[in-house]
Amino acid sequence: MNARLIHYGRLLLSSFLLFIAVITVLFFLLELAPGDPAQAMIGDMPVSEQFREKVIASFGLDKPVWQRYFIYLGNVLTGNLGYSVTTAEEPVLDLILSRAGATLALALPAFLISTIGGILLGSIAARTRRPWLDSGISGLAVGLFSVPNFWFGMLLIMVFSVSLGWFPPQGKSAYGQSGIGLQYLVLPVITMATTELAYKTRIMRSSMIESLSQDFIDTARSKGLSSRRILWGHALPNALLPMVTISGYSLGTVLAGSVLVERVFGWPGMGLLFVEAIYRKNNILVLGVVIVLTATIIVVNILTDIVYGLVDPRLRARVSPKHEVTAA
Amino acid sequence: MTQQDISAGLKAPLPKAEPVAASPQRSAGRHAAWWAFARKPSTLVLVPLLLAFVLVAVFGPMFVGSPRAAAFPRLLPPGGEFLLGTDMLGRDYLARVVHGGRISLLVGFSVAVLCMTFGLVVGGLAGYYGGIIDLVMVKVAEFFQVLPGLVLAIVAAALLGSNVLLIVAILAVTMWPGVARLVRAEAMRISQLGYVESARAAGFSGLRILWSDVIPNLMPPVLVATTMTVGRAILIESGLAYIGIGDPGNPSWGALLNSAQSYMRDGWWLALFPGLCIFVVVLAVNILGDSLNDSFNPTVGRVK
Repeated sequence: MNARLIHYGRLLLSSFLLFIAVITVLFFLLELAPGDPAQAMIGDMPVSEQFREKVIASFGLDKPVWQRYFIYLGNVLTGNLGYSVTTAEEPVLDLILSRAGATLALALPAFLISTIGGILLGSIAARTRRPWLDSGISGLAVGLFSVPNFWFGMLLIMVFSVSLGWFPPQGKSAYGQSGIGLQYLVLPVITMATTELAYKTRIMRSSMIESLSQDFIDTARSKGLSSRRILWGHALPNALLPMVTISGYSLGTVLAGSVLVERVFGWPGMGLLFVEAIYRKNNILVLGVVIVLTATIIVVNILTDIVYGLVDPRLRARVSPKHEVTAA
Repeated sequence: MTQQDISAGLKAPLPKAEPVAASPQRSAGRHAAWWAFARKPSTLVLVPLLLAFVLVAVFGPMFVGSPRAAAFPRLLPPGGEFLLGTDMLGRDYLARVVHGGRISLLVGFSVAVLCMTFGLVVGGLAGYYGGIIDLVMVKVAEFFQVLPGLVLAIVAAALLGSNVLLIVAILAVTMWPGVARLVRAEAMRISQLGYVESARAAGFSGLRILWSDVIPNLMPPVLVATTMTVGRAILIESGLAYIGIGDPGNPSWGALLNSAQSYMRDGWWLALFPGLCIFVVVLAVNILGDSLNDSFNPTVGRVK
């Protein structure tokens, strides 16, 4: 148990340092931006003198670089990402979090669909005795993997919204209504899921092929188990391990992809907020979204590592005290 | 001098001979793999296809009109006088797509070459020597896993301004760790192998061994990764350009899609053709990468 605590302690520490590194890089990018520090942060928007002074005071922008760095770091770590000039000087963090729900409404279904679909398609492609089915799935996967997914979204709009009129092309609910309309959700979720579905199908297929070629499969077969039980009971659990590893990374790409997908569908989530902030050169907001995104990805990575430790029996063994002695 | 000689020489005084990059058998295997790859139907179709895209990108602009001249009727559908129609300002869309290909392909290939170079140098040193280089490389790679390349590229371009060179630099900086991780893992594996140990015992310097024994043998997977990098770089560049980050004077395929966004109802061809170009090029590159991979790993096939 002790060894496991040490492992998680290390994980937390290195994740924290990684977060600091991200903030540091962002800070220096901001320093490299043209204009004086206050202007770099506020961007090109004309702002009131009062707002300007507020930003200068809260980020110590009149102080030397190294002091600014630590003030910035301190601010970010205590949740002060600055104030956005476009929305009545609302704290950036509040603004971002108010958009997070809409993004998650796309990202979570897309994540689930791509994961479950990838596991199924990948397993079928690896296991089937019909070569055309394997080539079909693998071909579909490499195809979807190569499509720019925002363009795929545009095609979906042109076919299913403009030509067929089945789904609304833009927005998350009918005009004047709050909440999320189900028929508004369909196309953006499909768009978001495609690239990841392709990626996971490819990973799952090769992982399943490898798993099926292991000795324990021969053992199971020689015990007379049915091929269905071998597949679901023996091969699948092992083939799933790489899927656990990539799922944290995959959620990151899904969230990053939301920037493009939300622009295609005019979906008012964090991604669209980000794009709008870039257009208006509202740099405080741009950095704020990146920091929230990174923090989310780091947390998901930690959770992934914990799940991996729980599901991989080899890791369970490695961190148990009995085996630690032999390892040391 | 063959591999066996080096092994036998372990007990003898140090031989002063040229180290051998690969045994005859291994390099024969490599040649066979290259031949198998070159003769595949997919290779025979896709390599000329990619070559055609490159040739059109390089020489095409001499044959099409100016991408900026706006004397034609607006939003003219494809066919007839203008093969790909005209855009919302009445500009010849074929000219715009041909010019756009220059930027997209230039970014894709330069980023891939930069990634391969960085990846080989850093990954090779990290995998072969380990120690502090290795630690730093692993940490840097972790960093770019947490901060998605697309997002970092957007921020950097938004803060620093955007031109083609800067975009290439940003993409290379965010994408090289992918190749480097692969090189590192392979270099680690290969440096444990007998013939590298023999070369070490024979007194060749680390860098020499790395250059002539380790790197040639890790090239196949690196070439696969580099091929895939071309596709990913083109995709990420198109995404950046789609949200308006790129050189406004030289619109890439992604930038054309950005302007097409508002004309999905009235000008389907504006969104169709640039996207199709991206798709075909990236697909071709990815299939070639897959098939290269299969040729060099014939054992990783299907189990039956």
